[in-house]
Amino acid sequence: MTRTPPGLVSPLDVGAASAAPLSRDSRLAAEIKALVAGGDRGAACERYGELVAHQQRRAVRIAYQYLRDAHDADEAVQDAFVKVFTHITSYREDLPFEVWFTRILVNACLDLRKARSRRLRWSAPLTPAHDAKPIDPVARDQSPEQRLVSQERAAEIAAALETLPGRQRTVFTLCHVAEQSTAEVSHALGVSEATVRVHLFRAVHRLRRLLERNA
Amino acid sequence: MTPHHLSDDRLVEVSLFYGVSASEQRHLESCPECAARRVRLREMLDDMSASSEAAADAQFPASRLARQHARILAQLQHDGRPARIIAFPAGHAQEPLVSRTHPSRRWIAAAAAAGLVVGVLAGRLGYDHSLLRPTAGRVVATRAAEPVEIRAADGAPGLRAVSATISDEEFLSQLEFASDGLAAAALQPLDELTPLPWEVR
Repeated sequence: MTRTPPGLVSPLDVGAASAAPLSRDSRLAAEIKALVAGGDRGAACERYGELVAHQQRRAVRIAYQYLRDAHDADEAVQDAFVKVFTHITSYREDLPFEVWFTRILVNACLDLRKARSRRLRWSAPLTPAHDAKPIDPVARDQSPEQRLVSQERAAEIAAALETLPGRQRTVFTLCHVAEQSTAEVSHALGVSEATVRVHLFRAVHRLRRLLERNA
Repeated sequence: MTPHHLSDDRLVEVSLFYGVSASEQRHLESCPECAARRVRLREMLDDMSASSEAAADAQFPASRLARQHARILAQLQHDGRPARIIAFPAGHAQEPLVSRTHPSRRWIAAAAAAGLVVGVLAGRLGYDHSLLRPTAGRVVATRAAEPVEIRAADGAPGLRAVSATISDEEFLSQLEFASDGLAAAALQPLDELTPLPWEVR
């Protein structure tokens, strides 16, 4: 019997997601698994580079949304990708790779959050987002006034997201940043779809209340 | 709000999970207020997604993603490689020490070291010997200090105080000189009342 390493989701847990047609990345992951099983690690690494490139942008968005720190997000994403390759032989080819990877990434983020809270307990507080550049989520052709308003709005949204409880925040992030369906999120988090919907519903209610109050 | 309007909860539900029913759709088409609420909610959700993505993208430009990609692959290649085993230098201590210096040079070094030791010892002994022998130089060495004259309050010449560093002979002679001075006259009655040491039994 194979044991699923800590931080990884067992392939048996995500069985319900097999109905969907396999994505390009799922097929690629299956190919990498076969290469590793065949002992061709060099070729597997090369193919894995492609998979990383496909998933990287989405991964950093999720991790940054979750951790709100670029260095931590960087580290979490790197850890997740390395862990996925190390345990690629436990990947089930008939399941969406994105769900499996998301679960591993979320666990890596949770581990980092725990580590960060332990670290902050023993260190002097830094100014928040000391490495962060000002967020400019708006088009460059906007006027300075419009850009300022958009930046303020972005700051409000970030602050509102920050107030969400952990599970609501995770569900909201996966649904609206990672653009996953509630079914995929339920598989990634190992909870029922009804639970995901409840968390998402509450999160949206809360965000709406906060943002409308500020508007 | 009339019962036909969609509640806030229902509006969130239809925006997030389910499509609207036929009756709700009819209501949304006929009720500008509910339609506007639905649009606002949709905009808020889109706004949050766009804002979150933009915040992450600002932190992770393409160059940073490329560096991260390279790091991940480098780590995978490093992890896959078996660890290098460096041979422990066993038996190295048992090997005979082979000196690369010429024997005559070693003798010169040894003689120089011995000479240094003898010189240090001799110097030390000479110094100790000189300490045991009292010399005039040692007594006179403190002569630099000049006596300081202490004047009385009425302007009369006072006692000449001596520095603590002067020799015994100088000190006694200065005492004699002081006792002969005018200032000592005031002490004469006291001196007469005080018994001398040899009178005390």
